[in-house]
Amino acid sequence: MWWLKDVMVIDPSQNISAPQDVLIKDKMVLEVSTAMTEEDVLAKAQGESVETVNGKGKYLFPGLIDVHTHLREPGQEDKEDILSGSRAAVRGGFTTILAMANTQPPIDNRALVEFVRRQGERAGYAHVLPIGTVTKGMQGSELVEMADMKAGGAVAFSDDGKNIQNPEMMRLALEYAKLTGFPIISHCEDKDLAGDGLMRRGVASGRMGLRGIPASAESVIVARDLILAEETGGKLHLAHISTSESVELIRRAKARGVNVTAEVNPHHLIYCDEEIGITDTDLKVNPPLGSIEDREALIEGLRDGTIDMIATDHAPHTQAEKARPFAEAPFGIASLETALSAVWSYLVLSGRLSLDRVIEAWSMAPAQRFGLNGGTLKPGAIADMVLFDPNFSEMIDSTNLVSKARNTPFLGNIMEGFPVMVWVEGKLVQRDRVVQ
Amino acid sequence: MKWQRKDILAIEDMSVEEIRHILHTAKVMKEILMRPIKKLPTLKGKSVVNLFYEASTRTRTSFEMAAKVLGADTTSIAVAQSSVSKGESLYDTAKTIQAMRADVVILRHPSSGSAKFLADILDPAVINAGDGQHAHPTQALLDIFTMQEHLGELEGKNVVIVGDVLHSRVARSNAWCLQKMGVNVTLAGPPTLVPAEMEGLGVNMTHDLDSALPGADIVMALRLQLERQKSGLFPSLREYSHLYGLTTDRLKKTGKQSIVLHPGPMNRGVEISDDVANGVDALIERQVTNGVAIRMALIYLLIGGSGNVVA
Repeated sequence: MWWLKDVMVIDPSQNISAPQDVLIKDKMVLEVSTAMTEEDVLAKAQGESVETVNGKGKYLFPGLIDVHTHLREPGQEDKEDILSGSRAAVRGGFTTILAMANTQPPIDNRALVEFVRRQGERAGYAHVLPIGTVTKGMQGSELVEMADMKAGGAVAFSDDGKNIQNPEMMRLALEYAKLTGFPIISHCEDKDLAGDGLMRRGVASGRMGLRGIPASAESVIVARDLILAEETGGKLHLAHISTSESVELIRRAKARGVNVTAEVNPHHLIYCDEEIGITDTDLKVNPPLGSIEDREALIEGLRDGTIDMIATDHAPHTQAEKARPFAEAPFGIASLETALSAVWSYLVLSGRLSLDRVIEAWSMAPAQRFGLNGGTLKPGAIADMVLFDPNFSEMIDSTNLVSKARNTPFLGNIMEGFPVMVWVEGKLVQRDRVVQ
Repeated sequence: MKWQRKDILAIEDMSVEEIRHILHTAKVMKEILMRPIKKLPTLKGKSVVNLFYEASTRTRTSFEMAAKVLGADTTSIAVAQSSVSKGESLYDTAKTIQAMRADVVILRHPSSGSAKFLADILDPAVINAGDGQHAHPTQALLDIFTMQEHLGELEGKNVVIVGDVLHSRVARSNAWCLQKMGVNVTLAGPPTLVPAEMEGLGVNMTHDLDSALPGADIVMALRLQLERQKSGLFPSLREYSHLYGLTTDRLKKTGKQSIVLHPGPMNRGVEISDDVANGVDALIERQVTNGVAIRMALIYLLIGGSGNVVA
């Protein structure tokens, strides 16, 4: 049994944001209350040994649930695999991660879904939940066997990495997915507008001569998918929203009652296109970093609930792939191990977001939308939780990252505020930044 | 001034003082180039490597000549564009060249930023001979050197750059270089080729060439890549030529004996009419000579081992 004493509990599912004591027993949260005495605790332990943690000055919140990670297995294990990715997850405070389907081959049938689940269980760190593709081979022309894949353990469907360009296919997907109750996760990117662009179209792209991707490449598909979701009554989740126009479209759709949720990636809340240097391939990401106005609109959208979730879009690549001229390097930022610290430093400490809102958006909302365990510290809930030390500082470098990837803009930086203990189903999987 | 720069990557981050120093050094180099025996021992024992990932005869030869006049040994590595993806990465190639003890690497590459990428990896000096759509600093310097020969001090002069600015490294580098020299620069072309995002260059922009011409001392036409029509950036060569082609009649609108420049090769009858092109031809020879002088100056400044101008 674990006894966390005098820790600042942040649990939006119970509206708790106060110093509490927390007891963990039999993989579950046993009790969250104030001023427990040693006698009480020993009685509740029923003979089991009690490990006590002094939580003063630290935060305890339900484990983060990341609905958007690329774990690269099967097929691209040189970038990442399910073991390294799930270790990186718990190091970063994530107790559940959803694995995107754009592997090689893509996760487009039940056997592959079961493989991903099984590999996650073998790894034994974070819960690894597979997202299946929407269409066979991500070709955008035939739907996958959604019901069968659900039976195999999929939790959502997405052709992420690629837009479903044919609107009729998207419409059919929203209809058919009703059989499963799962959302279709849309990667909104019109391929003609995006072209072979490299960064957001704007003065920075114009100055550097890097081909631009207009904001409309995302927003027109967001508009399309919202209309299709409204018309079909289907369940839609919009991945990595990055433009102010998209935020406004979602805000209006939600007001009309469209069944939609949306996520934003930490890098879109922190960086903007003007900060990209011509060789900064670690900031080359898709969707590309937007303008300052976009960044402000995204933060506002997250504050007012238009955007429901934060998700990393952890996209690991090898160093050799990123050590190329900008145009030749792949898109993506590896962020599982730094995302929470980055959001803490850039958004919470600066007063832009409350920690309560961050936990709501990164734990409770994902659990509710995707029907997952976790996201709460209610007694009886699964003991997936994070002890966060706002004063723990760490240099981000190759010696401590456990992901295979190093493609983070924070490499070489000293960051402050990290998860220092992480439990998955009551089992301690990370302590003092070391994965157990 | 004391020269401290290791590489020549873009005009954007250069100071006016540096630019003037290069132009001044190039003037001395041109005198040397015009001598009957044009060979100096200055860079004897130094090696200059031309690494070209795009076809270019003029620029490559110009760098080669420049290095040879200064007494350096030169090697050219031409990499077919098709092998970029399947062959050795630029990183690995760079490391190989470094191991061969090159002193200067001249890079032309289709990706914007590749020159800085190379310079960040390499100890030897890197000169950008054109990186994607980003920069072509030596072209801008030789253009400005040529303009100075004709007009003297450039401050306060008016230059119009017309054509496909969006995809042009020549336009970008010229815009930076000219505005640093105090020139009023106007970019002209259709909205698809001179879009709003070019505002970042900090110069005037217009879609109406004729309105920009009055008072122009220099008009520079950019080469129009004919395949841009297929991607819908302009409807036809006919309309392009009608709106933006430089003809004798149109040039009268400057109200001056304006100079016309073109980075070449020209599409006669498209961005420039035949008769105007004939006038440009005469200048091109001079630009070629000036190009060698500028490149001599840069190689000399980078590895000549002294901050002083050649005596």
